[in-house]
Amino acid sequence: MEGGLPVTSAELTDALRGCAGGDRNALRRILNAEGGRMLGIAQRMLHRRDLAEEAVQDAMVRIWQKAHQFHAGDGSAHGWIFAILRNRCRNILRDSARLSTFAPEDLTAMQDARLGAATHAAAGLEEGLALHACLSRLDPAAARAIVLAHVGGFNHDEISDALSVPLGTCKSWIRRGLDTLRRCLS
Amino acid sequence: MSETDLRAEEFVLGLLDPATEAELTDALEHDRVWAAAVGRARDRLRPLDDTAPDLPGAARLWDGVAARLGPAPARRRWLPLGAATAAGLAVGLFIGGTWFTPDPIVLAVLVDEAGTPTAVVEDFGHADARIRFVRDIQVPQGRQMQVWTLPSAETGPVSLGLLRGAAGTELDAPRLPDPGNGQLYEITLEPAGGSPTGRPTGAILAKGLAARQDGV
Repeated sequence: MEGGLPVTSAELTDALRGCAGGDRNALRRILNAEGGRMLGIAQRMLHRRDLAEEAVQDAMVRIWQKAHQFHAGDGSAHGWIFAILRNRCRNILRDSARLSTFAPEDLTAMQDARLGAATHAAAGLEEGLALHACLSRLDPAAARAIVLAHVGGFNHDEISDALSVPLGTCKSWIRRGLDTLRRCLS
Repeated sequence: MSETDLRAEEFVLGLLDPATEAELTDALEHDRVWAAAVGRARDRLRPLDDTAPDLPGAARLWDGVAARLGPAPARRRWLPLGAATAAGLAVGLFIGGTWFTPDPIVLAVLVDEAGTPTAVVEDFGHADARIRFVRDIQVPQGRQMQVWTLPSAETGPVSLGLLRGAAGTELDAPRLPDPGNGQLYEITLEPAGGSPTGRPTGAILAKGLAARQDGV
């Protein structure tokens, strides 16, 4: 970390209000406080540092443009900014024209890294967390699929490949898993 | 609710097809129930984001970000207006005057509990609305006036923004469908910074129903 301390939910909500009011310093505070974590999230999904930086910059611009849409009643401010970031990462991953410029071995390295990052993330959940307990109660394949989507940005096709199951099976595993997870967490 | 929750989770995970995802992204701006479901889904999975490493070097990205920022985010603006005017100022002055270009889509006269006209809201649709007070309002320390509208029962009340004193400024309203005849507008007294829940929580200072100005 370089100087940025994580901010509380209330501080981040305040900073988003500042952005909505046109205060660039508020956006800069968000980058300074949360940029390191955002780079980490992006790097897990995109593997390459240059792509991760691009995704974080894209996300910051989107946060600026959409800050007025953030409502404090709709979940946490952190959840909101990280969702914008993951969305930008997935856009980069889905940009086939762009990926076609990658060497085949780079693409393979990227896929391997994304798989590895998802495994790491699941293992990195603190044991005391409800999400940890509830994921471990799911069918392991369903839990793996959900984490691959969230952490690695994998889509249904990629997940069914990674788990070597038909697409339909993969989709119903995920749906059942999400239902069970939600009930467990509520 | 679980169908909505499931859809919200698939949306958060990026598992929906692009057309559906685009449609549901737009819906976040005006469908409060949907937006709340998505917020909950994000927060359920958020501990996974927290497992990401905290990498150095983010602050160096600022110059690249700053170069791409527009002047200000698009948002509903409260157009310039005068300070609170004397009670009894004829509403007809606003309607017939040449102040407004373009004409508002709806106009709502908000009255207090006793039926006294308190403010006039003109909603131009898109990103612009104007509020004008026709009597003085005392706002207690630590409180702020917030303006709401009810586009539909399903959507529930949507904030059009916070007011500083009786001269409006700020705001964060989402893009909404064009306002309609009979649409409710109201002003409530909320904690400074706005309602903590995203819904009206405080006393209603004034409310009124909109009348379309274009004969629709």
